[in-house]
Amino acid sequence: MLTWLVLLPVIGALVVLMIPGRRKELHLPLGIALSILPLALALYVFTVFEPVAGYQMTELQPWYEPWGISWSLGLDGISMPMVLLTTILVPIALAASTSIAHRAREFVIFTLLLEAGMIGVFVSLDLFLFFVFFEAILVPMYFIIGIWGSDRRVYAAMKFFLYTAFGSALMLAGIIALAITHGQQFGEVSFALSDLMRLELGTGAERWLFAAFALAFAIKVPLFPLHTWLPDAHTEAPTAGSILLAGVMLKLGTYGLLRFNLSLFPEASVDAVWIMGALAVIGIVYGAVVAIVQPDLKKLVAYSSVSHLGFIVLGTFALTSGGLQGAVIQNVNHGLTTGALFLLVGMLYERRHTKQISEFGGLQKVMPIYAGFFLFMIFASIGLPGLNGFVGEFLILIGSYATLPALAIIAASGVILAAIYLLWAYERVFTGVPEKEENKVLSDLSVREISLLAPLAGLVILLGLYPNILLDKIAPSTEAVLDHIEATTDYRVPEPGRLGDVFVAEEG
Amino acid sequence: MVTPEISWIAILPELLLALGAAAVLLVEVQWKPRTLVLGALAGGSVLLAAGFSVIQWIQAGDAAGAGDPSELIVFSGLVVMDGLAVFARFALLAVTGLGLLAGWRYIEGLGRRGAETIALVLLATAGFSIMVASNNLVMMFLGLEVGSIALYVLAGMSRERARSDEAAIKYFLLGSFASALFVYGVALIYAGTGEFEIIAIRDFLSSFVVLSPAVILIGLGLVIVGLGFKVSAAPFHSWAPDVYQGAPAGLVGYMAAMAKIAGFVAMVRILLTGLEAFESRWLPVVAGIAALSMLVGSILALVQDDVRRMLAYSGVAHAGFIMTGVVGGTTEGVLFYLAVYALQLVAAFAVVAAVSGPANSESGLDAYRGLSRRSPVLGASFAVLLFGMAGLPLTSGFIAKFGVFAQAWSSGFEWLVVLAVVASVVAFAFYLRIIVYMYMDEGDAGGIEVPAPVGWVLAVAVGTTILWGILPGSLLDLAANALPL
Repeated sequence: MLTWLVLLPVIGALVVLMIPGRRKELHLPLGIALSILPLALALYVFTVFEPVAGYQMTELQPWYEPWGISWSLGLDGISMPMVLLTTILVPIALAASTSIAHRAREFVIFTLLLEAGMIGVFVSLDLFLFFVFFEAILVPMYFIIGIWGSDRRVYAAMKFFLYTAFGSALMLAGIIALAITHGQQFGEVSFALSDLMRLELGTGAERWLFAAFALAFAIKVPLFPLHTWLPDAHTEAPTAGSILLAGVMLKLGTYGLLRFNLSLFPEASVDAVWIMGALAVIGIVYGAVVAIVQPDLKKLVAYSSVSHLGFIVLGTFALTSGGLQGAVIQNVNHGLTTGALFLLVGMLYERRHTKQISEFGGLQKVMPIYAGFFLFMIFASIGLPGLNGFVGEFLILIGSYATLPALAIIAASGVILAAIYLLWAYERVFTGVPEKEENKVLSDLSVREISLLAPLAGLVILLGLYPNILLDKIAPSTEAVLDHIEATTDYRVPEPGRLGDVFVAEEG
Repeated sequence: MVTPEISWIAILPELLLALGAAAVLLVEVQWKPRTLVLGALAGGSVLLAAGFSVIQWIQAGDAAGAGDPSELIVFSGLVVMDGLAVFARFALLAVTGLGLLAGWRYIEGLGRRGAETIALVLLATAGFSIMVASNNLVMMFLGLEVGSIALYVLAGMSRERARSDEAAIKYFLLGSFASALFVYGVALIYAGTGEFEIIAIRDFLSSFVVLSPAVILIGLGLVIVGLGFKVSAAPFHSWAPDVYQGAPAGLVGYMAAMAKIAGFVAMVRILLTGLEAFESRWLPVVAGIAALSMLVGSILALVQDDVRRMLAYSGVAHAGFIMTGVVGGTTEGVLFYLAVYALQLVAAFAVVAAVSGPANSESGLDAYRGLSRRSPVLGASFAVLLFGMAGLPLTSGFIAKFGVFAQAWSSGFEWLVVLAVVASVVAFAFYLRIIVYMYMDEGDAGGIEVPAPVGWVLAVAVGTTILWGILPGSLLDLAANALPL
């Protein structure tokens, strides 16, 4: 079933490729229709997903046995929400791209291939396979930014590609090292995650390997100070590119830290909590402060991602139930809200062809529905209780207070800073009276645009009011991660950090 | 002196190629047929040679399975018919077939001289084919020279163009110098061991302790330098960009790929088999050359504005990557890498020839503006080939890189692997630069027509790049069985 989840978008891309280039009007609608199929399958997977620890729906096919590589797929509570998020965002990103008239067929093909790669990253249980997907997705994204981006698109695409490729190159060396160590310790080379988790690495080697993996993922997240590619890539990318970049691709970093760093290098992870936590908190505050002064609306949202992703990393390295659960669910939340914000900025850009905040003012009067959605997503992003952002950030802050109290306190300021930069931006763009003539004639959202935003808004409310729909399925897997760390290191999650302890039990 | 034993089957492929070359020349003189007839002759001899190589492959497998590989050494120890030789010959023959197709428009355009070109191509293949199957260092030198001299002439085939002449002269002078170093090295190794046969050298070194190995070491050094030149490893690469630029585009891919395959297989034979006892001496040297090649190739390729020069420097980097496999002590990884890279190289120059004209020596990046629009087939094929050379996942290039890196790592050359992965990222930058021109820049120049033979070359190269990227086992199994004696 998971193989189909990976292959469906590829098949979709091939179908679109078969449509002749002159039938321009068919490419995008067909692409959207085809991207519904993986979504339907992912929803089915979600309903049959059992809330237990361990991998489900596993598939195992040897790929090339002498090398110990295999087509090994599986889903647990950490990856399942990510797959769901990916399949939800791709149709929306495609449907938001009606303004792309130029080379629409290639655009649809690249987007679908990107989707296949992203799903592949989340369902791989073999490090070789994981790396193949992790690196392969750079190509479609590179084309999406480079062909359909704005003025400095080539620069941004190159920077994006080279930055991330550099990180993953060292991870490749790390993966090779792990597999060969497995060969030395157990007699045969293996890339299977479950095999590699049994390795006795020794402190020095483990720290180096942790660093190699962490570098790759930290660039992807991006963690301060490796974030500089992100504002460029976001500002230049087309709307669909930004949605998928922020919505899913950044999560490959946080997902990788949680899935690989914590499980493969528990000892080094425990030793690194302060470093990683501190970098995360610097990112939270730095991203937020820089976001305040951005004159460009899209860049503001981009820097807000730096800030929000910092929370997720902090939660991951809090090494408590709340932190890990919060990290996983915040991955989803950030994908929904920031995806929606990029979508909204894109809609405004299509109307006015500028993203400068100073160009706007008083839009509330001319575009009330638009302003309503914008404000709603801002509240979700800030973490207003009742909306999804609150659940994630609250869990992360509670969870990290148990182990990294000082960092948690500083991180909490990020919530306030988020309110400042987002609400201030809202004030400048939407409140007052429209002064510029161009702004007075802007049309409000069409039915099509509302139908893109409504599902995201619905999910924001659903996860805000009833997070257990996801948390129940996440919790067993995050607990398993903590069990593994406690079993392999001297680290013990302090009370009340584990699920079942007072605090988290009430929330979770 | 005993009468040398003759084993025709062992050299039948080379005989067929040489006969093919002779036939092409004779038929041309006698009947002056259309070039297509000559092409068919050449293609026939290549296919026949490949067919007999299949028989040899089975024999080599049987002999290895029977545990008596000594019967594969024939001609009184001159020629060895082992899996390594046959695998390498398959690669050489595939490159020859594709090279003739890629250069077909050029060969046709040469008119009367087309026959000479075809004959030279066949002779070069025969020479390199003997070289990879040599168990004797003198034999190896003869093969090297037969092949190299044919390539020098091919480089100057467009003799009315100054750049082509420059390329030929440069290639000839530096190439002869390198050959001289190689043969001097062979002489010194003979002086130190008393043997020319690679297996005998190995046996000698493993049964005797050489008290003063200086002579052998100097010989070893000279051999490495000579072969390093042939495969364009840094710092012996300076000829490559000029030759790649000046030689006829249709043939450059063929020339470069042949020299790489033959040079590296010879290197594997001499270092991994003949002088394996001196491993501790040559490993650091080869690792150093590998490191330097990867860095020099990748970094200098960044600043090139001509696609051919870029591919030349990327070839330097690739020489470094392949040497990483030699350092790892794996014939499997080296052979896989050579096979996939050779096909990509031939096809890449087929694209260059299609874009800038078969004889033209200018292939500035500007000519590639908007290529994806002007010819979607060329653009997409070139993109896949470039991604393959860059070593991105789902292409054969990734598997190839991974194979040599993993081997080098398990041999304890971690630093070389780390350097190699970083060099790979630097290399991404210049491969992507060509993609930028093709896909992210709107060219206003008109469409480009793809000649049918080039289309076939691209189909094969792109197809195998993707096939072996997804299902590498089909080729890796063969490479794993292609063992030297």
